[in-house]
Amino acid sequence: MSADDAGGSNDDAADVDATSRFEGPLLELEDVHAYYGESHVLEGVTLEVDRGETVALIGRNGVGKTTTLRAALQLTPPREGHVRLRGEEVTGDPTHELAHQGVGWIPEDRRMFEELTVAENIGVAVKDATQVDRKLEYALETFPELREHRDRKAGDLSGGQQQMVAIARGLVGDNELLLVDEPSEGLAPQIVQTVADALERVSDEASLLLVEQNFPLAMDLADRFYLVDNGRVVESGSTDGVTADDERIQRYLA
Amino acid sequence: MTVAISQFLVAFVDALAPVGADLVGQLPVAGIVADFVKFLSPSNLAGIVVDGLAKASVFALIAVGLTLIFGLMGVLNFAHGSFTIVGAYVAGLVMVVVLSGGGFGARIAWFFVAVVVAFAVLAALGAFIETQLIRPLYDRPPLYQILLTFGLTLVIDEIVRMIVDFYGLQPRSAWQEALGTRPTWFRENHDFLGLTVEGMDLFEIALGAVVVAAVWLFLTRTRYGLFIRAGSEDSEMAEALGVDVRRVFTVVFGIGAGLTGVAGALLMWDPSWGASVTVGADALLPAFVVVIVGGLGTFKGTVVAALIVGLADATMTWWFQNVFVTMSWLPEVVVFAILVLVLVVKPRGLYGVQEVGGH
Repeated sequence: MSADDAGGSNDDAADVDATSRFEGPLLELEDVHAYYGESHVLEGVTLEVDRGETVALIGRNGVGKTTTLRAALQLTPPREGHVRLRGEEVTGDPTHELAHQGVGWIPEDRRMFEELTVAENIGVAVKDATQVDRKLEYALETFPELREHRDRKAGDLSGGQQQMVAIARGLVGDNELLLVDEPSEGLAPQIVQTVADALERVSDEASLLLVEQNFPLAMDLADRFYLVDNGRVVESGSTDGVTADDERIQRYLA
Repeated sequence: MTVAISQFLVAFVDALAPVGADLVGQLPVAGIVADFVKFLSPSNLAGIVVDGLAKASVFALIAVGLTLIFGLMGVLNFAHGSFTIVGAYVAGLVMVVVLSGGGFGARIAWFFVAVVVAFAVLAALGAFIETQLIRPLYDRPPLYQILLTFGLTLVIDEIVRMIVDFYGLQPRSAWQEALGTRPTWFRENHDFLGLTVEGMDLFEIALGAVVVAAVWLFLTRTRYGLFIRAGSEDSEMAEALGVDVRRVFTVVFGIGAGLTGVAGALLMWDPSWGASVTVGADALLPAFVVVIVGGLGTFKGTVVAALIVGLADATMTWWFQNVFVTMSWLPEVVVFAILVLVLVVKPRGLYGVQEVGGH
């Protein structure tokens, strides 16, 4: 068995091609219910992400934003409802298969492989084993400050540098959709702007479904937003002109 | 350094002479000092180091598979010792069936054939057990996996015992016919770098070093090894990046079980172990000590801990067999004392990130 087998089948690329002609939303969640044990966390989330757009999921802590991303990626498989990718039902599919269909995850807390080097962290995310060197070079060109740290253990990096590696992993995975969870969390203000710039660059290549507590940042990056409260989407719309003072927003974020 | 210490101790004993040779002779401390001088003599120390390295090789061979499986999957495989028994008998069977005479080269060549066969058989058995028995338990608490692998130990040991009994072999003592297939050179002492060393010790050190190096290269130089190391740290993140972690689990369990085949083959040729049903428990206990002392699931820690435990075992064996009294179990007490010491002083082990019993 080759490493490619463990990394997933290359047939997935053909699947992506076959469904790339699909005209509807890239990602659809329809009436998704998810649980942690007996705790009912998502109570019927419905949302869509189209090709090329950045969508923000906003809401208070603990309302189900992260779980929505996990449900989309089948890390917390929904017990009810549907998750569709390019119109195809993917509910219950293994997460690594979704990854091979172009769905990437930049998780909360970065989730570095701390004992692996920066280059190895990025290398794990490259799906085509023959492209590892080329993709790594691309990631280092995109995030030049990582170049001098490429052989350092990821666990030894600063929070901002780790976030760069996490975004780079999403970038090199040939992803059409990136699920980004709290990218600015725990970072110094000057680093947050660097991360925002990086996400702006990534959004040129992939659609983003972004969970972000930093409201101005979320509105700045996103084209549309969904406001989540108690496991449901309670508001949605374009981010144009939306401010934290908006009454709809105030009601759920204050 | 050791020469200087020896000279110091000799001078120290000489200095006591004026006090009265008879008195000194009657003091137990004087005897111990003399034994220390003997212990620290370069040739003796080198012999102990060689013996320790041979033991360390055996411990590392058994423990590396255990630590790979635990590191990636979090499964504490109590059946690991039983896999070693199967490996010893499979390798012994290959040797006994195919070997009729032959010189050093032929015996070594067939031994490596036996190693490959034992590896393949155990890897297949391990992959079967992982996919059919352990996989359904991943979502349950670790206790379920422990009970399952402990149950497997009882089943495998009894099956082997029945088969061995059926063919008229004594299950509790080493399979002499298999032991007899090793080259005569292994049973003899040889001059090596100015030392007198038993051939078997050299072979164990060489095989252990080659296997440990091969596993290390696999883990650090191959893409599959990268997936294993990533999955060992965070299997969910690895899965989200496209790694089929379940498949990697199966491969790692297969490799871990296969390595017990290699260890079993080596034990089959070592007269202090030999192919027997009891070799499983005998091998599993030091392997667990090595894995815990090194730090659960860390390859580097396992190798370092194997060296520490092997050298401590060899040192204590020398002291208790040559100086105090012949109590063959006392070195094992010291090995477990190391375990207790590490658990008290450094609960995560030498290189571990996860505390024993921690969550």
